Amino acid sequence: MKKECIAMLLAGGQGSRLYVLTGDMAKPAVPFGGKYRIIDFPLSNCTNSGIDTVGVLTQYRPLELNSYIGSGQPWDLDASTGGVHILPPYQGSKGGTWYKGTANAIYQNIGFIDLYDPDYVVILSGDHIYKMDYSKMVQRHKEAGAACTISVMEVPWSEAPRFGIMNVDGEDNITEFQEKPKEPKSNLASMGIYVFSWQALRRYLTEDEADPNSENDFGKNIIPKMLADGQKMTAYRFEGYWKDVGTLESLWDANMDMLSPESGLDLLDESWPIYARTVSMPTAYLGRGAKVTHSAFNRGSDLEGTVENSVLSQGVNVAADAEVSYSVLLPGVQVEEGAVVRYAILGEGCHIGKGCHVGAAPEDTDPDQWGLTVLAPGCKLEDGRTVPAKTMLNREGEEVKR
Amino acid sequence: MNGLHGIIFSYKKRNDLRELSEIRSPSSIPFGGRYRAIDFALSNLVNAGATDVGIVLNGRYQSLLDHLGTGKDWDLSRKRGGLKLLPPFASKEKWGDIAFRGKMEALLGVQSYLEEIRQDYVALMDGDLVVNLPLNEILQAHIRSGADITAVVGNDSFRVEGGTYFEINGDGRVTDVLYRLNNPRGYRGLEVYIISRDLLLSLVDECGSHDQYSWRRDVLQAKCKTLNIQSYIWSGFAAQIRSVQEYYDRSMQLLDPGVRAELFCASRPIRAKSADKSSSYIAPDGCCVNSLVADGCNVAGLVENSILFSGVTVEEGAVVRNCVLFKETKIHKNAQVAYTIADKRVEVMDGRMLMGNANYPLVISKDSKV
Repeated sequence: MKKECIAMLLAGGQGSRLYVLTGDMAKPAVPFGGKYRIIDFPLSNCTNSGIDTVGVLTQYRPLELNSYIGSGQPWDLDASTGGVHILPPYQGSKGGTWYKGTANAIYQNIGFIDLYDPDYVVILSGDHIYKMDYSKMVQRHKEAGAACTISVMEVPWSEAPRFGIMNVDGEDNITEFQEKPKEPKSNLASMGIYVFSWQALRRYLTEDEADPNSENDFGKNIIPKMLADGQKMTAYRFEGYWKDVGTLESLWDANMDMLSPESGLDLLDESWPIYARTVSMPTAYLGRGAKVTHSAFNRGSDLEGTVENSVLSQGVNVAADAEVSYSVLLPGVQVEEGAVVRYAILGEGCHIGKGCHVGAAPEDTDPDQWGLTVLAPGCKLEDGRTVPAKTMLNREGEEVKR
Repeated sequence: MNGLHGIIFSYKKRNDLRELSEIRSPSSIPFGGRYRAIDFALSNLVNAGATDVGIVLNGRYQSLLDHLGTGKDWDLSRKRGGLKLLPPFASKEKWGDIAFRGKMEALLGVQSYLEEIRQDYVALMDGDLVVNLPLNEILQAHIRSGADITAVVGNDSFRVEGGTYFEINGDGRVTDVLYRLNNPRGYRGLEVYIISRDLLLSLVDECGSHDQYSWRRDVLQAKCKTLNIQSYIWSGFAAQIRSVQEYYDRSMQLLDPGVRAELFCASRPIRAKSADKSSSYIAPDGCCVNSLVADGCNVAGLVENSILFSGVTVEEGAVVRNCVLFKETKIHKNAQVAYTIADKRVEVMDGRMLMGNANYPLVISKDSKV
């Protein structure tokens, strides 16, 4: 069945910079914004952009992600032709390997892509929070007659050295690519979203696989090679909210952004809905003494205490006289009476015993000692325990170093 | 085949529900922030392992059909069995503007469906009952007692419109079935019955051939001496949503944690249609206490002792007290609303005041702008 355009979503990364949060699950499965998981954003963008065929490349700890995606029904991706397909590495008659790099992951699934004989393939990653109409980017790719189109956005010049920077000509054709340049020539950063003409990409993937010195990576190998060969490569300028949530700090930031639609991340806006697999839980209850302000919360929650500037997922309980501020509580977190949680990310199912102190505000801490406090999913703190700022605990409640 | 087959009766308009059933069957009345009344009967059945459920439809069922869809949200979208909608097309005769005069006539209309039932036992339920029954346990009690019919009754004589009341002897056997009581006595029937498929079929045939249509009169009352009708007494929360006052009082009871813990017990979850709303948000100057708040609400004003369905907006300076606000209601700046049930997408404009009373809650019809 021929499709004009399909998407391939790279979801195999470990997300090692999320440390304990990704101990048991791949980064795209990490909960975000109270009711979502990171992967809901690219999947919903696909559906909203009219892309009905998506391959999801998984490798690291795929259980959580596989069961979350299921048939793809929450994103309307359970079509009889197309739909969402989970693509793990596999063994063939001549053996098989893990996905060696982003380009190799796509290379190993050439057979899947060829089934749909697409003109264009959109390559996405599973660790970005943004709302984007991919059909506009494909349109730009078609009009430019490009082999590859890369989505870019302007970043502050001071931050440019942290990104892959695209230098462009007057028509936004890419002339040069610099990975994390010390002296950037432009402030157009790659967002890691690519549209390729499939036949061109297919050829480059095959050549790249034959090169024993290649790292089989889009950014390091495929893009520079196509550029060097003089292939037509264009930039697609994106304006709007976009954040790579690959680190604990950026994940926390993006959650806080959700509370302020001025940040550009407006999840209450229904013109571009983000879909999620939902759970059966009763309506949230805010108790008689509840003081919940500038915060988001979800079904199945019972909030009796104080919650400020925080994002609470489903099934979170905050008991009377407990206080949660500037924190992100993932599903099923229990905060007992008198506990104080500040500037923290608490993983799924954490239990904070009575009178615990978790994390601290920057104004109460020596600047060198300050940082987010992060608890692994399932971590149970006995009553009265203090966990200082910038501390990370594993499931057993033992401290782990970043 | 062992197990339970569900048949849910939905009714058309009830006058005492006023505006709330103007546009919908009582079975699809929103309840508890994110449910419709029929979600409870469906979830009770599914939690007891039922895979096949038939819904006998009556008038005004468009909103109900929209809610049920394929039955997927209750895992009832199946290759064999699953959710079957039974519209009242099968009966040849017409009784004015009503599709059927009673449950037995409704069942006669779907006789061919009943004959195809794969399970040995059938649970008959009403779509307007809000309860979380352990139907599996009730089925086991039915089998153990050797009863022909088991009637589930509430442990009270609470007055409900069109209610059925049961007199029970020391062994739990039903001795009399009462109706149209000025001062209700006995146990309040929840209109939940367990009966074997074979007995149900023979009763439908017998009633049909004698032009009898009423389950209560022609089966329960007429046969309570000859059939062994046992009772199962349920002491927990059980609301039959048949009037505005009952709707309001029962909704407000949900603010009691004990009632919620029982009605939404985790071992028998109540499932609802899934909706794609984001998290709810309370603004820096907002305040929300002793209230149930569904997904996608945005509160910048004051909300107290209220139930907010999904997507409700309460703007700055607005005050909402003792209200039930349906999906996507908007209370604009500085408006004050108390003891009011606002139907879907109602808007209360800037600075308006609406005050009902606990004994006479105001009801604002769907899509109204006040």
